[in-house]
Amino acid sequence: MTALLATLLLLAPADGAPAEPLSAPAASDPEAPAEVVVIEDGSGEEDQVEAKLADEDDDYGPFFEADAPSDTRFPSQGRKGEVPLLSVGKGAFCFVDGTRCKVSLLADASVAAGLRAPASNKGPDMPYAHYGFRGGLVMRPLMFKRKAWHPWGLGVVGSWSQGTGAVTVESTTDDLAKAESDRTPAVRVALVNQLWLSQRPHAAHIDFTIGGVRSPVLTSGIPLIGTHAEVAFGWGGWGAVFASGDFLDQDTRVGFGLRAHGIAAAPLVALAILGAALGGAL
Amino acid sequence: MIASVPAVALGLALGLAPAPPVQRPGSPPTTAEPAAPASPDAAPADVDPPADAADPSSTPPADAADPSSAPTDVAAEPADAEPADAEPTDAAAEPADAEPEPGDDRVLHVATERPGPPYATEEDLAELRERHGVEVASPPPRPPVRWRCLIADPSCRHSFELQAMGGYALRARQGDVSQGTVDRWNSARAQYDFWASLPALVETEGKSRYTRMSLGPKGGVIFSDTGDLWGNLGIAARYWLGRGRWAPHIEITSALAFKLATRERRGDDAPEEFRMQRGPVGFQADVGFGLGGFGSIVLGGQYDSPLAREEIPEEYRVVSSGMFYVGFRGNILWGGPAVTAVAAHASTRAVTRP
Repeated sequence: MTALLATLLLLAPADGAPAEPLSAPAASDPEAPAEVVVIEDGSGEEDQVEAKLADEDDDYGPFFEADAPSDTRFPSQGRKGEVPLLSVGKGAFCFVDGTRCKVSLLADASVAAGLRAPASNKGPDMPYAHYGFRGGLVMRPLMFKRKAWHPWGLGVVGSWSQGTGAVTVESTTDDLAKAESDRTPAVRVALVNQLWLSQRPHAAHIDFTIGGVRSPVLTSGIPLIGTHAEVAFGWGGWGAVFASGDFLDQDTRVGFGLRAHGIAAAPLVALAILGAALGGAL
Repeated sequence: MIASVPAVALGLALGLAPAPPVQRPGSPPTTAEPAAPASPDAAPADVDPPADAADPSSTPPADAADPSSAPTDVAAEPADAEPADAEPTDAAAEPADAEPEPGDDRVLHVATERPGPPYATEEDLAELRERHGVEVASPPPRPPVRWRCLIADPSCRHSFELQAMGGYALRARQGDVSQGTVDRWNSARAQYDFWASLPALVETEGKSRYTRMSLGPKGGVIFSDTGDLWGNLGIAARYWLGRGRWAPHIEITSALAFKLATRERRGDDAPEEFRMQRGPVGFQADVGFGLGGFGSIVLGGQYDSPLAREEIPEEYRVVSSGMFYVGFRGNILWGGPAVTAVAAHASTRAVTRP
């Protein structure tokens, strides 16, 4: 705005000069030779740059500029568009999920705690916790044909978890019928919908998972199939916090947990097993 | 956008007009005014307006007729104005504060921009640096971080850490309620955690950014004697007290802790074995002081909530318990913390629980 005003002021004729009608600047001639601009950087050296006339080619943009030289950054920060970590084919397949991966491996371990809510006549709500392992593949369907980044991902996962046991307490005519189970294994197969929230390395993403779960119901020992649902908030492929639920007949389990990629979790699991063995727990 | 329309209109008006002379607020407007109302027929004969007034396009700016709406006096500076006088900001569209000349009430200057960037001269930058205490030369950029931030560093933006802790634990458990007793015993604690450290407080030096404080989720497992195993899920914060690779830092963690398993016997004739065990969610918290993400001395505590509601049969109830602990925690990648944790874990074999 200020530049336009100043330009118009300069176009005004001097005192006494006849008023010239203001005319629009002539369109650039495509055949006109390019200007040569000499740039001096103060060091005595001159750079000659061939400058294109404005609107020489009707190409507006580019819209993705490189970072300005004055931008600050972390020494550890990767450049925009860098090849994802632990990937092949420039992100065609990633062993650790990332915002620029087309297909990614999911392999992680998790711990979670929550509540187990039996049907009302099966006893009180009890604490429930589990550890588990998950594997699968997730892909970005709209990034296959186009190079443009897209936030949507879709995948399939399978998981296994070992949970704490159940307790049932039922009133009978004579007494209380009490039962307890040692553990609660569960197997799940589910569909993952990912929504990536940015293109930065270790970008945050929200994962919605819906699928089925097969697990023994309460203390019956009989595995039934129920519904599994989960929403997770993750950082890249390294870790995520999640809230999940398994909804079975008369047996509902909900929990809040954290998962870590297998590359990170495997050394910890190995140390834990080693320590437990040396400590006499196993 | 809307705000720019009047300015553009002003510019067009100024551009279409001949260069206005310097005008004073006190001087009468240059626009010809009819001396007296005249009939339409008599007007051409009675009034001999100047050429400017005859041509609407060459009429002096409307500002002159309305001093309150816009600058009355406009002095367009020549294009070769002194750079120090040129204000590249919106000052061109606003009346500038000028020193009154002798005998003048106000003089308004409209500055012109220099033709192209940079709009600030070295003198301008030097003044800005002096005003804000900025060094002339930026500090040299930091060398790249080592090990891709697998061991945390103030120059890391994100770091995903594998932490292990081993140490001494003073454990306690509620005893006989009727006697008001508490069981205490000496034990050990081993903890294996995954931390996602995200930048929460960032500062800049030159072109380099540094994390002053990181905050993020963490989770893992905790072991103690008799095969006691808890899961934990919480947050870890680290405040860096420097910017170097060995910068000291303070760590604060807190988490929900929940029982997962223990080694016990179910039934009189059943063998003792490692089993899943439920327990209500408790919490743990600690504070540590360390160096460079490699390791910290940690002091903390854990509390396990009781499960003692009336509707729960006696044999399924859980008494409250907890521990205070002090230990060494650090990144397992350089080996020290891993060895410490496994050693502490192994030492639980010798613990006798009351």
